[in-house]
Amino acid sequence: MKRPSNDLALCGECHQEIAANYKKSLHYTTIGQRNRVIKRMSKEEAKTFDEKVFEKSCRSCHASCGDCHVKSPAIAGVSLGLINKHKFVRKDEGKTCAYCHGGRVYPEYTGEYGGNADVHYQKGMMCMDCHTMDELHGDGKAYQLKEEVRDRPRCTDCHEPGREVKLTARVGHLKHSGSASCYACHSAGEYRQCFNCHGGHSEAKPGFYIGTSPRNHREITTLRIIPTVRDTFKPQGIRQANFDALPNYWDAPIHNIRKRTERTRNCDTCHEDRKGFLTMETLLKDSSRVNLELIKKPKPIPVSQ
Amino acid sequence: MGKAKMKVLVGLLAVLLILPAAAFAAEPFVTTEWLQANLSKVTVLDVRKVEEYNDGHIPGSINVFYGVWGIKKGVLMNELPSDDDLKDILSSAGIEPTTQVVVVSKGETMPLRTDATRVAWTLRYAGVENAAVLGGGIEKWIADKKPLSKDAVKPKAKPYRGKFNKQFLANKAYVLGALGKAVLADVRAPEFFKGEKKMDFVEKAGRIKGAVNLPPGLLYNADNTYKGKAEIEAAAKPIVGADLNKEIIVYCDTGKVCTTWWLALHDLLGYKNVKVYDGSSMEWMADPATPKEP
Repeated sequence: MKRPSNDLALCGECHQEIAANYKKSLHYTTIGQRNRVIKRMSKEEAKTFDEKVFEKSCRSCHASCGDCHVKSPAIAGVSLGLINKHKFVRKDEGKTCAYCHGGRVYPEYTGEYGGNADVHYQKGMMCMDCHTMDELHGDGKAYQLKEEVRDRPRCTDCHEPGREVKLTARVGHLKHSGSASCYACHSAGEYRQCFNCHGGHSEAKPGFYIGTSPRNHREITTLRIIPTVRDTFKPQGIRQANFDALPNYWDAPIHNIRKRTERTRNCDTCHEDRKGFLTMETLLKDSSRVNLELIKKPKPIPVSQ
Repeated sequence: MGKAKMKVLVGLLAVLLILPAAAFAAEPFVTTEWLQANLSKVTVLDVRKVEEYNDGHIPGSINVFYGVWGIKKGVLMNELPSDDDLKDILSSAGIEPTTQVVVVSKGETMPLRTDATRVAWTLRYAGVENAAVLGGGIEKWIADKKPLSKDAVKPKAKPYRGKFNKQFLANKAYVLGALGKAVLADVRAPEFFKGEKKMDFVEKAGRIKGAVNLPPGLLYNADNTYKGKAEIEAAAKPIVGADLNKEIIVYCDTGKVCTTWWLALHDLLGYKNVKVYDGSSMEWMADPATPKEP
């Protein structure tokens, strides 16, 4: 039988609860991806997208039980193969997670994408030390977007504000609470950015961008480029009538956290030099007009402070 | 008791006190047999990826991935973390200045093998008195049918208070000032030294003007273990000279491979003034103003 675990009911004979939850999970439905990009399209285009792109592309490798626990799904036609012969592997995050999340998140976490290893990796932590089984398999609710999931890991689950040993850290956290995400200050630096997605092809380069979060305009955070360009779906006849409804940058939880970065060491990095902040000059050319809303100019710190 | 007898007793006592300490001071390149016999006396630091460590490691060893010790700074690879970061890393690993550390990486290829030597040099730079590497790496340990464990060890954190050995490090300005005075040892294969080949990330082929070639391959046996002290000494002397007080600066492409010879020259052969040029060819060859040849 080819890809036996495509039929969740088969695994559900023993793993009833997991299979039932998983069927509704974002990992399985990938509906979050669809619901996001569809906002760029007219109703007619959305219908075409569902038929010609979503079912054939996004849904094609998302994600049977075996896609995580036995064999890597083919991504852009390439599969990394079996994890451990034909055996089911319960948890081996360098494979069970990284075979799919190995383009951006995982190599950023280990530092192998030309950067610095995340402090949590330094201390031996792996994906499931923060991301719970419920988050991966679903909790039985049919969420439409990732942001609807309440039980996602937060830095403050472990790092409780107000308990910092150093006064400078405590003051820094207090001052920026609600106006800057943890990543904005603690991301170690450049992370993978993908550009110019034409017909399934995009080019990747390192980059570091800070700007207003498109989902929370009160907060600045690290941004990652969404490589969808105006003609990304042109081969499928989708013009993206509402292309400018969405930005080309999303707030991104970068997995290269360090205690000290150039921004935690020196206030001027942001408040004077504005290093890494999205500007008119660095904005993607011919990109969505709504990107302009993400440009943030931090104010200099008054001398009295 | 006569004075003579007393002297003998004091001498014996001193020997007894010194002996256990001496057993801890390993040479910089240790064998699997030595490590197995001394496992209880050393801290084994596994610098492979976390998942590789979890899959099987030397019993009792701790894990801190290489990428934490050798970081990217701007365009330069394999650079030192800042001193405060380095202290944090050592503290959370529970390493103290007096800890005898044996660093273990993979051993099959030069880039992976030198993960261990670069970390050992970094420990020495940070003030750890004794740091060694396991010859042949984890593959040799496995090939020799030594035991493996899957029990991850969580180190007990201790504040690190070592005194940094800044004299083990040279920057570009220092190397410029040392040209014509110190021995510049280019620790790359001869074709790279001669300028016939270069790595993609190095701007230009060639070497620092006046450098001598001290290839890393001279240190290794066919099974990737280290040669003995006498053989290493015989290889080094004709190239860097026999004067143990002469200043030697080792470099390579990124500052990683050259740490093999730093350990050999400084910690094995007793050359007293050996530095690593951290920026190495990546930095030197990218600067139009630095003297180069051919």
